[in-house]
Amino acid sequence: MDAATFEYMKKRFEEYYMTATFMMPPAVEQREWGFIFFDPSGEVRMKRHIGFSSKNEVETYMRSMVPRHAYHSTAYYKLPSASTMPEKVWLGADLIFDLDADHIMRGAYDVMLERVKEETYKLLDMLTGELGFIDRDVSIVFSGGRGYHIHVRNLETRQWGSTERRELVDYVCGIGIDPEFMLGKGRDSGWSARYRSAVSEYFDELMKTDRESAVKAVGSIRGVGDPSAGSFVDSLKETSRKVKSTKKDVPVTGTLKKVLEQDGGPLIDKIRERAALTDEPVTTDIKRLIRMPGSLHGGSGFRVVPLTVRDLDNFDPLVDAVVFGESPVRIDLAFSLTMPVLGNKYSLEKGINNVPEALAVFLCARGAARYAGSVR
Amino acid sequence: MPVELDKKDLAKYPFLKEAQHLVSASGYSIDSLINKKHFIVKKGAERVEKAIKFDYFFDDIRLEMAEWEILSYAFARILISCLNERNLTDRLCRYEAERASYFLQTEDPEKKDYVTSIVGINPGIEEIPVVEYVGLCPALHDSKWRLINRDINSGLVRIEKNEYDELIKEKIRSMLDDQLPLRVGEGICSLLSSLTEGISSGYQEMLMEQFGEVDEGSFPPCMKAIINAVTDGTNIPHTARFSLTAFMHIIGMDVHQIVGIYTRAPDFDVEKTMYQVEHISGRGGTEYTPPACATMKTYGLCVNRDSYCKKISHPLSYYKIKKKMMKGDEAPVPSTKKDIPDKVDEKNP
Repeated sequence: MDAATFEYMKKRFEEYYMTATFMMPPAVEQREWGFIFFDPSGEVRMKRHIGFSSKNEVETYMRSMVPRHAYHSTAYYKLPSASTMPEKVWLGADLIFDLDADHIMRGAYDVMLERVKEETYKLLDMLTGELGFIDRDVSIVFSGGRGYHIHVRNLETRQWGSTERRELVDYVCGIGIDPEFMLGKGRDSGWSARYRSAVSEYFDELMKTDRESAVKAVGSIRGVGDPSAGSFVDSLKETSRKVKSTKKDVPVTGTLKKVLEQDGGPLIDKIRERAALTDEPVTTDIKRLIRMPGSLHGGSGFRVVPLTVRDLDNFDPLVDAVVFGESPVRIDLAFSLTMPVLGNKYSLEKGINNVPEALAVFLCARGAARYAGSVR
Repeated sequence: MPVELDKKDLAKYPFLKEAQHLVSASGYSIDSLINKKHFIVKKGAERVEKAIKFDYFFDDIRLEMAEWEILSYAFARILISCLNERNLTDRLCRYEAERASYFLQTEDPEKKDYVTSIVGINPGIEEIPVVEYVGLCPALHDSKWRLINRDINSGLVRIEKNEYDELIKEKIRSMLDDQLPLRVGEGICSLLSSLTEGISSGYQEMLMEQFGEVDEGSFPPCMKAIINAVTDGTNIPHTARFSLTAFMHIIGMDVHQIVGIYTRAPDFDVEKTMYQVEHISGRGGTEYTPPACATMKTYGLCVNRDSYCKKISHPLSYYKIKKKMMKGDEAPVPSTKKDIPDKVDEKNP
């Protein structure tokens, strides 16, 4: 990023921070803070191990330092500003789930955001519907980038170490499923229901193809020979019926076991479709820094927006996370692109363009454009 | 209505408050017993040794010697606190939990309910809130205990009748684990040093028998790949660092040996590494075990699979099997850099 673009960006951020409202995490004084600044040398360096004693102090810091990125720890520390982890003395941490489109799919920005919203709904349903977390303890934050962060705050989970958090993240991601328990008698809720539907769908697809290709597909699974694949395919209708019914335990043995426990393959994809694909290490890491709600994401210029479940329905990041206006700005675009912002779709050619400020900040932040002067 | 517990009951469950009251009412003093080199102190050491060897044989426990049983429990805890070694503490807690569980199996229902409620489980309860369950289950290794495999309805985890005993045992273990180490004065620990040193060297010997010398040549390909990535200075993901560290810890490498592996990285940060290694190897509370092959796969860390991999489902089994094989074959191939694959798949570092 060139000096003029840097200067332009920093000015816009400064403008925003003058009047911005932040959503501070509980126990501000027990958090570690970290910031990345507008560094004209282009180097990305984080200044961390910073502690503040009050919300006011944080706000003053934000307004005077105008960071490009702002983070606070998910953890609570006795001495958050100590420079090593043991000296900080860990006291607990919020439970965090990170849903990032990058981990789920590639595609156009608006498409990715829609998709990750679906994952967010699945996760929220699991957390509050199945696992019994109460709405009040769950907050949603648009990350300012390509996803959402879910913060769960309650006294019991606060003390959890990585192993306890792993139980939960494995649950939402569908990791460690043992078919025997999924297909147990009387089990028809939560993962059991999802698993049964995934297996049924997989079996239905096998039954739709001709016998020869079905046998070939099953026979290619490790440990399954062609003869057993043949008899497996021939009794698939019956097996499928058993899997759908919860009246009896389904014995998971022989070919069925090999089919259900195969590495990769179409069944795993169907299970993943039903899971909430969060970025696992974010949840198990009990000392992570996370974007501060209310700050701007320096790689997009979008606001990191705290949301309620109800807000999420109509939340359109390309409108609702945009804090800059429509006054025209001249930019030099590195490549042609089409992009919706603030309800309008912009198709831009490579080179000099006049665009609304909101789009200019976004494109500059992404490194897709350079600032080329204001338009009078 | 409180249940009546006699002396024998207290010998079975020495962690109950009533057991401690019994001992202090009998006029025994910890300090004077140590000073007198009373044989009961040595009994405590034997208790620790049994725990370390996983010697879970409880048929010959003489419950009529209730005070002695309870005192040996107390001394075992003092000794383990002086040792202050995560693995050993963990084994003592397991031993005590197994021991109590052994007696609970045939216990009078009322008394069993009492002990159950003392350790924090509501007797006869059929469901446990998810949050409470997750606090309990990580140390239970069977796949049936994983949260994802449980029958859960609106935030409640269903517990089958036949699962109670295991759950109670785990609760006792974690309760004792939370209590240790006790704060024991240096004076007392130095009086006990001959016993603690004996325990410590016995443990080392046992480890040597079990895993013997560390043989990097027998490491599974996934672990070798991570080491190679470290050596190349690749920024490895947390999951990789965790898996490798836990693996090396379990096969008996100490913190310094483990850190030694990480020093191969060009940008090695001593303090950070020491901290992480100590955390994973149990200083922070839980002792971690390396992930099984299935989990390694989900992490994208299961790479360069070879013929041994087909026989096992856990990196640790690979190591045990291969090491044995290598020993069986003439002279073991000395561990050299050549054992390490040339390149880690960049998509799966």
